[in-house]
Amino acid sequence: MTNVERYLAPRSLSEAAEGLRDGNVTILAGGTDLMPQSKSGKAKFGACLMNIRRVDELRQILRTAAGFRIGALTTIAELRDSPEIRNDLPALWQASDHFASDQIRNAATIGGNLSNASPAGDTLVPLLMFGARVVLASKPNGTLQTRSVPLAEFLLGPGKTSRKPNELLAAVEMDAPPPGFISRFFKFGTRPALDISTISIALGAVHDGERLRDVRVAIGAVAPTVIRAPHVEEALEGKALDSATIAAAATAAGRDIRPISDVRASDWYRRELVHNMLERMLSHVGHG
Amino acid sequence: MSVREKASGDTLIGKRIPKMDAPQKASGKTRYVHDIDLPGQLHAKILRSAHAHARIRSIDVSEARRLPGVHAVITADDLPFQRPIGVAKDHLPLKRDRVRSFRDEIAAVAADTEEIAEAALKLIKVDYEPLPVLATAEEALRPGAPALHGEDLVCVNHNGTTEVVHRAAPNNVAMTFDYDQGDIASGIAESDAIVEDVFWLHYVTHCCMGVSGVIAEFDSNGNLTLYSNSQVPFLHRREFGELLGMDPGRIRIIQPPIGGGFGSKLDIYPFEPIAIYLAQITRRPVKLVFTREEEFVASPTRQPVLLKMRSGCTRDGVLTFRDVETVHDNGAYTSWGATTPFVMMQTISSLYRVPNCKYHTRAIYSNNPYAGSFRGYGNLQATFAVEAHMDRLAEMIGMDPLEFRLKNAQDPGEVTPQGMNFKSCGFKDCLTIAAERGEYQRKHRANIARRSDADPIKRGVGMASMLHVGGGAKIYQSDGCGTILKLDDFAHVTLITGASEIGQGSETVLAQLVCEELGLSLSSVTVVNNDTDITPWDVGVHASRTTFIAGNSAIGAARKAKDKILAAAAVKFDGKADAYDLKGGAVVERATGRKLIEIDRLIRSLHFSEKAELVMTTFYYEPPSQHQDKKFKGDVSAAYAWATQVVEVEVDTRTGIVRLLKVNAAHDVGRVINRLGIEGQIEGGIVMGHGYALTEDLIVDHAAIRNPNFRDYKLVTAPEIPEIDITFIETMDGEGPQGAKGVGEAPAICVAAAVANAIYNATGVRITALPFTPERVYRALHGALQSPAWDVPT
Amino acid sequence: MSAMVDVAFRLNGVHRSLRVPPTMSMLEMLRDAIGLTGTKYGCGEGECGACTIQVDGATINSCLMFAADCDGRDVVTIEGLATDALGEKLRQSFVEHGAVQCGFCTPGFVMQAHHVLKKIPDADVEQIRRGVEGNLCRCTGYKKIVEAISAAEDAR
Repeated sequence: MTNVERYLAPRSLSEAAEGLRDGNVTILAGGTDLMPQSKSGKAKFGACLMNIRRVDELRQILRTAAGFRIGALTTIAELRDSPEIRNDLPALWQASDHFASDQIRNAATIGGNLSNASPAGDTLVPLLMFGARVVLASKPNGTLQTRSVPLAEFLLGPGKTSRKPNELLAAVEMDAPPPGFISRFFKFGTRPALDISTISIALGAVHDGERLRDVRVAIGAVAPTVIRAPHVEEALEGKALDSATIAAAATAAGRDIRPISDVRASDWYRRELVHNMLERMLSHVGHG
Repeated sequence: MSVREKASGDTLIGKRIPKMDAPQKASGKTRYVHDIDLPGQLHAKILRSAHAHARIRSIDVSEARRLPGVHAVITADDLPFQRPIGVAKDHLPLKRDRVRSFRDEIAAVAADTEEIAEAALKLIKVDYEPLPVLATAEEALRPGAPALHGEDLVCVNHNGTTEVVHRAAPNNVAMTFDYDQGDIASGIAESDAIVEDVFWLHYVTHCCMGVSGVIAEFDSNGNLTLYSNSQVPFLHRREFGELLGMDPGRIRIIQPPIGGGFGSKLDIYPFEPIAIYLAQITRRPVKLVFTREEEFVASPTRQPVLLKMRSGCTRDGVLTFRDVETVHDNGAYTSWGATTPFVMMQTISSLYRVPNCKYHTRAIYSNNPYAGSFRGYGNLQATFAVEAHMDRLAEMIGMDPLEFRLKNAQDPGEVTPQGMNFKSCGFKDCLTIAAERGEYQRKHRANIARRSDADPIKRGVGMASMLHVGGGAKIYQSDGCGTILKLDDFAHVTLITGASEIGQGSETVLAQLVCEELGLSLSSVTVVNNDTDITPWDVGVHASRTTFIAGNSAIGAARKAKDKILAAAAVKFDGKADAYDLKGGAVVERATGRKLIEIDRLIRSLHFSEKAELVMTTFYYEPPSQHQDKKFKGDVSAAYAWATQVVEVEVDTRTGIVRLLKVNAAHDVGRVINRLGIEGQIEGGIVMGHGYALTEDLIVDHAAIRNPNFRDYKLVTAPEIPEIDITFIETMDGEGPQGAKGVGEAPAICVAAAVANAIYNATGVRITALPFTPERVYRALHGALQSPAWDVPT
Repeated sequence: MSAMVDVAFRLNGVHRSLRVPPTMSMLEMLRDAIGLTGTKYGCGEGECGACTIQVDGATINSCLMFAADCDGRDVVTIEGLATDALGEKLRQSFVEHGAVQCGFCTPGFVMQAHHVLKKIPDADVEQIRRGVEGNLCRCTGYKKIVEAISAAEDAR
């Protein structure tokens, strides 16, 4: 028996933020994380269940002057169907293509994926690599206000974010990648999609045909949150993509990751995979 | 049953016939047990143990009983006359005094809704005294290990007498099997090459898409109706009678369409008697359905086996001996898994010609989940070992692995030392054709050359064969099946068969066989197969027996009906019965095919005449097989079936991921009856074998299942399946219906063995433990994998 | 004390209104409250696809959806495909191609296939396989299911 005393279905961001004011609210979007977690007891409902799915303004993929703004309610299927995402943010597109299953992609939202803050979250890895910021909306004094938080600061640990109880994750923004920027996403698995990540890697850089600049590498399922890999980035920045550089970069990853052993894989194996898969991704980039 | 020659175009045999129940199923109209609701029914839930091994000091159900909407809460204390289930009778449905595994059922609730029943479970207070956990069979065998069934199990009868139903097993040995043929010592002496390995065959589980469920209802006369997905309803009827102290004749089992079986419904598991007890106590229908997690935790698994094998051959490639010892982790209570040695010894003694063989098995109690019956029934495990050694021995003597197999494969007419008579045998054809279609020899050689090149992606081909019963298995007193057949005034057939349909298409095959005899179209048949009040006895759906035995039974009844009709034709047309035949819904002249009269008109004339006869016939078919003697020797099946599968894999050495690319399968099926159905069985079995080899792993750790869900227990999904090519070898078995033999289990049996050989071909690394998950393969390739060890106390 | 939620929605073309507990799933509502048993419980966690339905033209796992969220939406279950032309083609194709054995997964596959073919009318085999990657089958090995879906496409 649940203790949900109120059910709200706001139709605007303002209404939703209003509903969060008094706290003790469980937010419902796609439900693909909330439902199983509540059935298993992992998540408990607050006194108010607020379904934000009807806040249409949160569901859009916008090109802004600086880059992109993706509304929190954008579904993974919408990301996958978007030509802009595919062309301009390929690593994010690849992550959406490797996400769960069609049925789940049709319901799951990018905001939900962000809020769930899984160390293995599929969209989180490319978003971190792209330097994304989450936009949090609230109405503490009766006026709607927003603040922008870099993703690395937003994700605090497994299932933990810096969202305050009266805040709603409204969108995720990122600057447009510089010209010549290529990006790739790789998720290890025996299936194309329906797999919780054992490890995943997003790689992005400006590749001028010889050297890499503005290198960003993010890795999932190797730490309590998805992480950037600064030692890998350092090993690649400004370097020609030859086999020595690739080997050095793959080895450098070992200093950035802290994988654990669990029912999916041992820590040793995760380390081997990160090394080998980074090597493979870089070789593919090197070969054009 | 005599075999017809392959008939001409108007025959139904060998055609692609859609399943009769498929349209209903595709519309979502089929009502499985989960979809059935009886008026006034209550919902039941089971409280399972919080410990793998513990004494129960007390159970307090008082608060649960008081919850509004709760009708009954029971524990073993409420069931003084409880009797055990399972083959060894060591298993009480509701546990008394002690729990021995996490599955153990301690209490059960019947309530108005599932939600209330679950809430009531949370109010039950159990005081446990934890006991040391035996997490492996080896631990259970060590001196000083607690005896899990250290006392006799005593039950109280209704007349007040007591009975020892299971004798204590002070050393945790539940069952042993010993088999031998020939003389091992001379086999060893004759060998020029000997190999030895320890193999670990792991826990997997059935994962039927429909979870377990049952509905129990007593009527006002105290007769019991069970809506059960039992695969052996007649055997269960008798067992339930014993369990409940009731006349089995007053128990009716109705079998709703099943959401998958694969052997999981071959034994009685506690949830069914528990639902019955609750129905008895509340006098209401009680419905009990598992959650998926419960399905993982509480359903029987495939039997895990630690297997040590030594085998040898001469330098000319003649097999000399196989010496096998196994430890079967029996889990907390004995179910069918402990009897898999019956099947394993067939493979070990008779898959390829081996004169000398010794086989010793112990099933050992532990606090782990117990194993039941699962498609293949031990044969996957045995074949894995045998076929690994076929490759190893061939390599050791420098012989081509296909030639080596062909040299030792049996021919039709051979009788094995175990007494199996291979009357029809397509073994060599299976080997040759699978190898040809899979380009085995060429690829095998080429892959070895590529092992050390720079490409991190390796290719491998592997071959494995299997032998399984194809004409039933005479392990019960009877291996027969009864049929009642009636033809109504419109020449519509009602075929009442004891054989159950578990999704494999048996009802369609039976309809085909009957229509073939009677010259009718399939739309003229109704099959009734799901009510023990109506259908005649059949031992059950197992051992791939249904097409063979129920088929022959149906043909027997159909032929009697045909004889009656032709006799009536003889009278009407003043001729001899053998001058006529039945074709296209009519009586025809056998010699010319000329139509004489429609069958329905003739039947009506028989009915509405002085003779006043209906066409109703019966037939009970008992296959001409033997019970094995005390040494397990005997021709236990009326026919045997073979298959060879050649698989191609790709191994990514950077990750250890093995992709199954292609399976070329050649199956000796006797005769194809329903081409569509048999293809479906083989494709499904291959993919099940694929999962067993590569993706499925029920992780049992300290007696707990760590991945009781589909997220972490990986079934094969559509994008992962291999290309499948099937060749049917039709050896036209003399006893089989239209020449057919059983095939239900065969396709799952040798996939893993073939994949093991393929991985070796690709990488030069032999892995002797399943499954070949990426991490395991990666570790093996990097010398970081510990092979299974034989650390077994004697 | 639990709140109840009023929902008004279209179910298989017919307007309905119900009152549901806030945390009830769509699957529970369809099967237990409304009595439509064609949609199946396979796992309750969105891993098997047996509970697949269509909402506003896209397939979702009904076990993961909150019943309260169906308010104002257009829901189609397997029963609703009875009068749908593509649904009929798929059903026939599944039957003819031997894609049904125990049949428990079949409604979920038909629902998902229907969506895939509506979205990608000329889907190739790879797209069909990816399209049904969230539907598990234990009996058929998927080969005939994929063939059946492909053939239904050609039959249009």
